Amino acid sequence: MKSTQYSEKVLDHFRNPRNVGTLEGEDVASGEVGNPVCGDLMKIYIKVKDEKITDIKFQTFGCGSAIATSSMVTELVKGKTLDEALKVTRQDVADELEGLPPVKMHCSNLAVDALREAIKNYRSKKKGKVDLPVIRETKGRAKEIIGSKEFLTRGVYYTVDDFFLFKDKRVLVLDRGDKSLEIALELTKYTGRVIVVTPSKTISAGAEVATKLKQSDVKVIYESELLEIRGSEEVEKVLVHDLNEDEEYELFVDAVIILK
Amino acid sequence: MHSYVDYQSAKPVDPRVREVMLPYFHERFGNPSSLHGEGDEAAKVLEECRRTIASFINAEPDEIIFTSGATESNNLALIGYASRNREKGDHIIISEVEHISIHNIAKYLEKNGFKVSRLPVDQYGKINMKKLESRITPQTILISIGYASNEIGTIQPISEIGQLAREKGVTFHSDAVAAEGLIPLDVKRDHIDLLTLSSNDIYGPKGVGVLYMRKGMRLNPVIIGGGQERGLRSGTENIAGIVGMSKAVEIMQREMKEEVKRLAQYRDRFIKNILERIPKSHLNGHPTERLANNAHFRFEAIEGESLLLSLRDAGVSAATGSACSSKTLEPSHTLISTGLLHEEAHGSLEFTFGRFNKEEDVDRVIEVLPAIVDRLRKLSPLYKEEMPT
Repeated sequence: MKSTQYSEKVLDHFRNPRNVGTLEGEDVASGEVGNPVCGDLMKIYIKVKDEKITDIKFQTFGCGSAIATSSMVTELVKGKTLDEALKVTRQDVADELEGLPPVKMHCSNLAVDALREAIKNYRSKKKGKVDLPVIRETKGRAKEIIGSKEFLTRGVYYTVDDFFLFKDKRVLVLDRGDKSLEIALELTKYTGRVIVVTPSKTISAGAEVATKLKQSDVKVIYESELLEIRGSEEVEKVLVHDLNEDEEYELFVDAVIILK
Repeated sequence: MHSYVDYQSAKPVDPRVREVMLPYFHERFGNPSSLHGEGDEAAKVLEECRRTIASFINAEPDEIIFTSGATESNNLALIGYASRNREKGDHIIISEVEHISIHNIAKYLEKNGFKVSRLPVDQYGKINMKKLESRITPQTILISIGYASNEIGTIQPISEIGQLAREKGVTFHSDAVAAEGLIPLDVKRDHIDLLTLSSNDIYGPKGVGVLYMRKGMRLNPVIIGGGQERGLRSGTENIAGIVGMSKAVEIMQREMKEEVKRLAQYRDRFIKNILERIPKSHLNGHPTERLANNAHFRFEAIEGESLLLSLRDAGVSAATGSACSSKTLEPSHTLISTGLLHEEAHGSLEFTFGRFNKEEDVDRVIEVLPAIVDRLRKLSPLYKEEMPT
């Protein structure tokens, strides 16, 4: 079966997704789940009264089946109690959709997980527990990035004197505060590809820089650190560690800026 | 109305090609190896086709080997050459943006003791000549770099690569499937030793291809049998298919110039309109050095398979490099090689125009795509966060 050969029911939920959107309020909680393999992201919001889900909304970034399963979950649990909702499984969702292509069963059927996350968050909220943002240790600063010395001036730069050096290059800038982010912004005048890697969940820069960054074409990779710089004679790629998913992957770049 | 804009995946056979093939299924069914009238006629036709196809790439007829298609030609070129010339060296260079068949053949050769270097490309998917030169060692026997990317349409500096390979005494193979019919091919001008061609990519039937093999090249066969094609490709010749490919070449020789001009106009108008009408959209591949029929985009915060499904509902057939639509659930290796993250490759969409497209097809996609992107972005949790107003 081809990965895109979907049942009519899947196509219906893809074409006319139910309960799309967001919710706000005291009695609302949300759950988010991402797929580290491909980057799918699902977010589910529940509104609860007397242990019952009175309203539910979702947002999904993903394939047809990711959108359809999210839509189906919202239909399945609307009006149910939290305990009943927790009993809904991935298989239930697939069955209600008249089946999913086997390859999609695991990669795009994550809406149930997002729902469970939302219920968990609702219950902790009720108990008065506030989920504090996880503060990650920025080990990258103390730890030497493998290859950074080896490729110095052959793609690795500790300072930037001449922006023309980076013309049309793919440049990766490590987030080392406002100065590094200003450099990233300036670089967009010389090349179409500027990437910022930061260990934190948001950019912790001055308001002005942060806004400019958001409006720019700079690609920010959050919650990640640089492990290694690789290449033959010059920098060709880097190894990035996704702290959130604890995954490592290679990214092709031409230059890396690490302000000292 | 339906708009097929995925010519890179498959092309319809030109009706003029189909017409000349038909007699070869029943009336002219002969086997070129047979010693009678039917056989002689088939042998004569085979040699005529060989001449026609040779002239398409400025080669000699006896440098043309018929195969079952581009994948087989690539196998014969890489495995056939490497295994025959092992005593000369064990190192092969390919690029990161090769067709999947070249990547997988290279992996097979690695398992069999060869060393493979994969040349990185720039953000547009183009190789760097200095980097290529620095990777050539005394052990290097073969460089295999495709003429142009079948995905993002970026054209490689083939003449320069050929020149360098010739100077260094390294054999040069190029898979020209994506470029044939869009760029005039000349194996002498470009110093190409081995060249892969396919019939379907010039509107001939599927199941036929060619490996051009410069005189003096030594290859081992990968298909062994009755010794057809000078022992390099056994199996009774697919005369109907070969006649079809030859006719496709004839048509291309006459019409290519006009066709390329028309397709390039479609492409340029299409790219300009899409980038203007859809916010946060980007062009993948080279802005100018790209195939005349290729437009490849990525749209932030949405995914390619859901784009394809929506386009399908709107009567448009296109392609994507998203992991969600691939058999392996891996994103396109070509897009990753240009420096994109998985999530960026996720939102990619490929359009390839061809002979039977009309202006209306271009208009239609320009008309439907912005609303599709907009609808999917409204479903996406990333859209708002990334696009503050």
